[in-house]
Amino acid sequence: MSFLGNSKALLLAYSGMEKQSLSYSVNIMLSPQFYTLKKEKLPLKYLYQAKKIAPSLFDGFLEDTTKYEYFVYKEEEEWIFIAYDPEAISNFLLSKGIKPEQAAKIFFAQQASDSFTAPVLMGEKESLVSLNNTVVVIPRSAMQKNSKTLSFDDSFTPKTGVTLQGAHGSVLSKKQTVGLALFFTLFALMFFVEGWRYTNDSQSAHEEMQILLDEYPSLQSQYTRDSIAAKYTMIDKNERKKTDIVKTLAGMIFKGVKVSSFSMNEKVFKVDFICSDAKVVKRLIQLAKKSEFSSAKSMTGNVVHIEEKL
Amino acid sequence: MNWKLYRNELIVAVSLALMLSGLLYKNTQISSGAQEMLSNKHTVKEFRELIVLQKTWANKNISKKVDKLEKIVPSSKVKWSKKGKKLTAVYNGLDPKELNKLMTTILSMAVQIQELKINRNSSSYDVEFKCKW
Repeated sequence: MSFLGNSKALLLAYSGMEKQSLSYSVNIMLSPQFYTLKKEKLPLKYLYQAKKIAPSLFDGFLEDTTKYEYFVYKEEEEWIFIAYDPEAISNFLLSKGIKPEQAAKIFFAQQASDSFTAPVLMGEKESLVSLNNTVVVIPRSAMQKNSKTLSFDDSFTPKTGVTLQGAHGSVLSKKQTVGLALFFTLFALMFFVEGWRYTNDSQSAHEEMQILLDEYPSLQSQYTRDSIAAKYTMIDKNERKKTDIVKTLAGMIFKGVKVSSFSMNEKVFKVDFICSDAKVVKRLIQLAKKSEFSSAKSMTGNVVHIEEKL
Repeated sequence: MNWKLYRNELIVAVSLALMLSGLLYKNTQISSGAQEMLSNKHTVKEFRELIVLQKTWANKNISKKVDKLEKIVPSSKVKWSKKGKKLTAVYNGLDPKELNKLMTTILSMAVQIQELKINRNSSSYDVEFKCKW
């Protein structure tokens, strides 16, 4: 497995080539027999725009039944569009003894048009030449006798190429890959954000604690904190209880009920209510029981007496 | 092996690994941070409670606030004795409105009630109030 550049041997693939026996992977340069070329001067700035319109450029030129892929690049002022059938190429390579996984990268002869300074022989009958900057196949008979030819080698290797996908090797299609990768990446992002939020929450509580400690330095000591808690918690509890009792008793005064006497100290409270009649007495006692003053009792003279410990 | 042939699988595997590492990161943060966060939040809550208690019951302005109780009813009805942080106030002949006003004020103050007595005399009320702060 090589992750570095194109250091592999370059093999020229043409229809009449001999069967290969490879024990290693190679780069393949396809002759024009395997692709359809179009050159256009278009006012496009970006490659993705050119790739987007590529299929429409070949409308009517290619068979509708074949699934083509497109390789696009810019050559000076012109955009070069190459349509190729990956499945047909894979099948051809297989028929020549080259397994798809042995084809590291696929190049198109057009990409190396500048390197074709002289014809390159393709078997005994054909040769590759660059005419007006377009690489084409011509019969060898059309060549001048004793004309100079080039031997095909790795120096023809262009910078970019394509890999054969789908037909062989990869189980996942491009669409599935994009979908799954997006799905996993989205979840990854969510998990990272959630994790970061937990860290942040923890930090914010710590920061809040630090602010309080800066504001009230005495709280830094556990002894001081215990002492404050011991001193004031009991006072707070007792005084709130007293206040609540007074408020509850005040809430028990309704028409026909008057406070006769009330006393409260730190341990106990007593209250006497004077009621207008026995009916009011009964109602007041019920109300007192409901307010959890279980000691409420009726006394002589329509008086209700409550006495409880605090 | 030509890894580029399996580029799609590689992309999916990398994104899957990314998701799993995200999940691992989140879980690590939860398990390590949760304990600390709970502890910090508990401490902050405890601090706030102590601060509120201290502000309520150790307030230096309580003494001034208590003075209101002397002027809440006509001076002829009050016997006032304030020594240090202790108060004894005796109110005589309060009408129900004055009694209500006095009780509302007493209950809104952060003082420790030592004794509170209310006695009804026909249509008026006598109150004895002892507190400290």
